[in-house]
Amino acid sequence: MRSIQRTFPLFVTALLVAVAIVQLSVGYGEVRQASRSVADTRLRFVDSVLVELFQSSPQRARITGLAKDSAVVAFLRSGGQRGREQALAALRRITLDTSSNARLELRDFSGRLLLSTGRFDLGDSVLVSPGTDSARFSPLMRHDTLLFSGVAAAVLGTEASGSGGQSGGIVQQVGRLQLNDRTRRFLTGLSGGDMAFLFGNAAGDPWTDFASIVSAPPASVRNSHTPSRYERGETKRAIAMAVPGTPWMVATEVPSRLIVAPAQAYLLNMAPLAALIVILGTLAAWWGSRRLTAPLVGVTKAAEAMATGDLTQRVPAGRDDELGKLANSFNTMAEQVSRSHHHLEAQVAQRTKALEGTNAELESFSYSVSHDLRAPLRAIHGFSRILLEDHNAKLDPEAQRLLGVIDQNTRRMGQLIDDLLAFSRLGRTDLSTGPVDMKELTRLVADEVQRGEAGRDGSLEIRIDPLPPARGDRGLLRQVISNLLLNAAKFTRGRPSATIEVGSQADGGQTVYYVKDNGAGFDARYADKLFGVFQRLHSTEQFDGTGVGLAIVKRIVQRHGGRVWAEGAVNQGATFYFTLAGEER
Amino acid sequence: MQSKGVEILLVEDNANDAELTLRALKQRNLANQVFVCRDGAEALDFFSDGASPVPKVVLLDLKLPKVDGLEVLRRLKNDARTKAIPVVVLTSSREEPDIERAYALGANSYIVKPVDFEAFARAVSDVGLYWLLLNHPPQ
Repeated sequence: MRSIQRTFPLFVTALLVAVAIVQLSVGYGEVRQASRSVADTRLRFVDSVLVELFQSSPQRARITGLAKDSAVVAFLRSGGQRGREQALAALRRITLDTSSNARLELRDFSGRLLLSTGRFDLGDSVLVSPGTDSARFSPLMRHDTLLFSGVAAAVLGTEASGSGGQSGGIVQQVGRLQLNDRTRRFLTGLSGGDMAFLFGNAAGDPWTDFASIVSAPPASVRNSHTPSRYERGETKRAIAMAVPGTPWMVATEVPSRLIVAPAQAYLLNMAPLAALIVILGTLAAWWGSRRLTAPLVGVTKAAEAMATGDLTQRVPAGRDDELGKLANSFNTMAEQVSRSHHHLEAQVAQRTKALEGTNAELESFSYSVSHDLRAPLRAIHGFSRILLEDHNAKLDPEAQRLLGVIDQNTRRMGQLIDDLLAFSRLGRTDLSTGPVDMKELTRLVADEVQRGEAGRDGSLEIRIDPLPPARGDRGLLRQVISNLLLNAAKFTRGRPSATIEVGSQADGGQTVYYVKDNGAGFDARYADKLFGVFQRLHSTEQFDGTGVGLAIVKRIVQRHGGRVWAEGAVNQGATFYFTLAGEER
Repeated sequence: MQSKGVEILLVEDNANDAELTLRALKQRNLANQVFVCRDGAEALDFFSDGASPVPKVVLLDLKLPKVDGLEVLRRLKNDARTKAIPVVVLTSSREEPDIERAYALGANSYIVKPVDFEAFARAVSDVGLYWLLLNHPPQ
């Protein structure tokens, strides 16, 4: 059953859940977006700090200055022949100045090492084709597990020294790529400790995180300079930025989980709150719908009770809203129904009393008939018999014949009284209804009829088809079958081979039983008279009987809620049909 | 009202029926010791007189003047002195309530008087033979 009391809270709950889901997902998305944009700003900022750091490197200025140092210029222009001590001093000055452990080299244009300071040796190589005006940075170089960067400047020879080849040479510095502790602390403070700093170039050569060599971030990061997501151990978000004036590139990356963490925290905080709101809303809706429907349930229950006959039902009517009006209307209606019901009951009681009176009269009438009419009849019969028996000698044959007529008619009148009483009794006895096996009952009656007809001329066959069971008063139904079979047996007398057929047919869900014979039949014009009391279509001389048998059949069938009718033609046999409404119940 | 050796007490208001009954009994030689009461009051008087002989059977009509047959039956069966006397209801009524009440009050038999005289005569004489000759009452 659909019930507002249940569907309304369900509807409200569904609505609240939907709102909560939308609210949570929208909020989650917004928080994540905000967190992402904060992360991007920080990534860009740290990038720009790193770029600044590498761009403002004093190395280039130092190397440019060194390339203009007179001692170095002279040493290189001489092809490394003269002024070695002075050049070495210039180099050492810088090394001391910067207290760096970078290596300084002076080479000729063919790459031959002329002079060097510093602790490590990266072999004979010119890192870049140096510019003449200022120093240039080289790409990153990998040596063992370390990355190095270089910066170089050219020292050109003069016409005066021209020896055919190019005089002059290259000043270059090679140093390990690293962040000093101060810088690292500064950057860590800036990034909050959750960022990684990467250093490399756009070409995808080895990159470093300033501690070791790492694989380069994907091309999407190196080329776009916009935020990108990629997988490295976990999902990361990164922004790269080129260092102007160098072939280098810095990138900062942060794990995506740190970006979505605030959004997840938002979900964790908000979800219980949303659940609480849903639960409270559901409870409120349930309470509200109960409050709203409880009076309706009351009215419904009262109406159902009334439908089952309890007319004392009233509903409490204390409210002054629509429900209160409904309750009032219901009570008024119940009052009306109850009053008219009592009125009806009183009427029925009155009629019943009247009927009982009529019935009592009828009963005393039939009592009188049975008692008072029989006694004189018995006297007439008895004394006419006594006349015949005791005074036979004094009576002439005509007197004897007349006494015989009296005798016959008193017998017949006795039979009429008996049948009439049987018929009137039918209307007064109660039906005791139950299942009835029609086939078995018919077989029983047919055997009786066969025995009664044992002395007849010609054969009598009673054929019984399968008959569906019925519901009814077994004793009365037995009388119906008995009367119909006796009737058929009577009207087939004189046939050399009489046949009576009992069968049934379905007619619109109802069973029609029938008894068919091949006897005298009847004139179809008088078919409606067949079932009247004392109605006869044949003379007593032809067929005996009082004309009550079929009237009894009709009354019994009617009391079962059924119908009886007959078809036939003179000398063509007759068929009697009947239905029983009880058979369907 | 005292007749020695009454064997059958016939309670019958209809003189014709009484005559037919007596004739039927006579034909079987059972009519010598029949006493006829014409209404219920007479029947009760018959028994209230302590000196009256005890009949072997009472043939009782139901529809009687003054005191009806069922009342007579009730009193006979409620009286310790008379309750052993067989009472055969002999009536025209074949109404079920009459039959049920008669047996409930202790009737020993219930016979519907046939209209047909031969059948009536046979019924009466069979009843007489049975209760006078075959039945063995307490001594």
